Amino acid sequence: MQIASLENVVFGYGSVPSLNEASMAIHAGEFIAVTGPNGASKTTLLKLALGLLKPWSGEVYLAKLGASGKKLVIGYVPQQIAAFNSGFPSTVLEFVRSGAYESGAWLRRLRPQERARAEEALRQVGMWEQRGRKIGELSGGQKQRVCIARALAQQPDLLVMDEPTTGMDEASRKGFYELMHHHVQAHGRTVVMVTHGLEEVRPYLDRIIELERKGEGGWKCCTTTSCSGHFAPEALSL
Amino acid sequence: MLHYDFMQRAFCAGGIIALVASVLGVHLMLRRQALMADMLSHVSLAGVAAGAYLGWNPSYAGFAAAVAGAIAVEYIRRSYRAYSEMSIAIIMIGGLSGAVVLMGLNKGMNKSFSSYLFGSVVAVNETELILMLAAAAVGAIFFILLRRPLYQIAFDEETAQTNGIPVRPISMLFSIVTGMIVAAAMPIVGVLLVSALIVLPAALAVRLARSFAAALIIAMLVGMAGVFTGLTASYELGTPPGGTIALFLLALLILGIVLKKASVIAGKLGNRQNLTIISKHQTGQPAQNGAFPRIKSNKLAAPATHTHGGTENESYV
Repeated sequence: MQIASLENVVFGYGSVPSLNEASMAIHAGEFIAVTGPNGASKTTLLKLALGLLKPWSGEVYLAKLGASGKKLVIGYVPQQIAAFNSGFPSTVLEFVRSGAYESGAWLRRLRPQERARAEEALRQVGMWEQRGRKIGELSGGQKQRVCIARALAQQPDLLVMDEPTTGMDEASRKGFYELMHHHVQAHGRTVVMVTHGLEEVRPYLDRIIELERKGEGGWKCCTTTSCSGHFAPEALSL
Repeated sequence: MLHYDFMQRAFCAGGIIALVASVLGVHLMLRRQALMADMLSHVSLAGVAAGAYLGWNPSYAGFAAAVAGAIAVEYIRRSYRAYSEMSIAIIMIGGLSGAVVLMGLNKGMNKSFSSYLFGSVVAVNETELILMLAAAAVGAIFFILLRRPLYQIAFDEETAQTNGIPVRPISMLFSIVTGMIVAAAMPIVGVLLVSALIVLPAALAVRLARSFAAALIIAMLVGMAGVFTGLTASYELGTPPGGTIALFLLALLILGIVLKKASVIAGKLGNRQNLTIISKHQTGQPAQNGAFPRIKSNKLAAPATHTHGGTENESYV
């Protein structure tokens, strides 16, 4: 099942396009890494796929329903989201719980299973012991993990993360890749992440989407590489 | 003091506005729009001046101008996403210059404008009290019903949008509510100090609170304390209420910051003593490094089949 796709998308911030005729497809149950040099529009690519930016031309598709037939739930961890105001008045647990509500459930109290979901997500990223701390008091790597926990608490069908391992040490990065792999394998989630540390994450991946410069003028397009081991090639359309 | 009708009205209106203005202030601070209240008060003043010039009710005109200014700032903010304070500067210039020109055209009314500039408990008439109650009711409903989306938007708009929250309509409503509350607070503290009622309680609350809910409660308590003590002092000393309330709020902020600093220093001293005791007795436990929990390697090595719908309770920490 295709969750999101871009077809011949052109987009730029000034008059010159930074992405030119970029195409990619994301299928349910994949663990994908998006990579490329600095300035290769990796973040832009993710934002276009999520509908946060409108392309100049080309087609963007984002599924409305997940594999379960319910409304598609998206977890998004933007680049350097952890660099939030250090004074943001919120405890770690309060912040992660804000992701556990079902979409549109703005009035009712948190259900026990939603509380459990938030707590489980915090344990998964190793931050349960820090649940009572103010998020602004955490280190960069801890903040990043709290943001990931919040996204996991949503039980997303599609989890999109922009350089999520920034500020993490090597052991934490490995633990993080294993956790994402587990969510893909055991829970059928789709994980897309921008990363520069491709070699570390490669064993866990299904596919790599690489942004490459094509010709002059900062034009780029996507090439995809299947990773052996986990991926079913027939699911790829590009 | 409270046997006077105008003081009863001032306390009633001031208390209600302090509650919603403080909550508004917390959201404005976290959205990095703390100057918005100042800007809208200047726009509201232009509305008051325009109303007086055109023969309309100045209170209604000021109210309408603040709401229109709030809508305008939301549109301009989207054009200057990376520099959202730019939108505030642009509208503030428009509001203040318009107010100055229109006040110049109403030379005979300069005296009544001073009550709008500096606030006056006597200036709180029936019309303004009704406007305040309406603004407070709308504000309270807005902040209660949309507390969860507002929290998420305050943290990060893009994340909120991907979570399915209608960020644009809610931001627009937030701006309109801001305009309403600013216009409603003007008669009490005046144009020049309306932002004090909104920003100062929030500034202290954000500093003291550990959780978002606590920040809102502290802001409301500080706002109410500042308004009631300020109004009382203003009555006793015969000073303008706006300035007096702002000074009391400022004093509370400074006191709160000093106490917080003192508690942090005391905590550090306590920790240092504890560390010394631990090193003396050689009983230090290895610090928890907070590393990412690892999943057992046999799980990773298992055949990579995509089995959808596993249980969330599975332990792999």
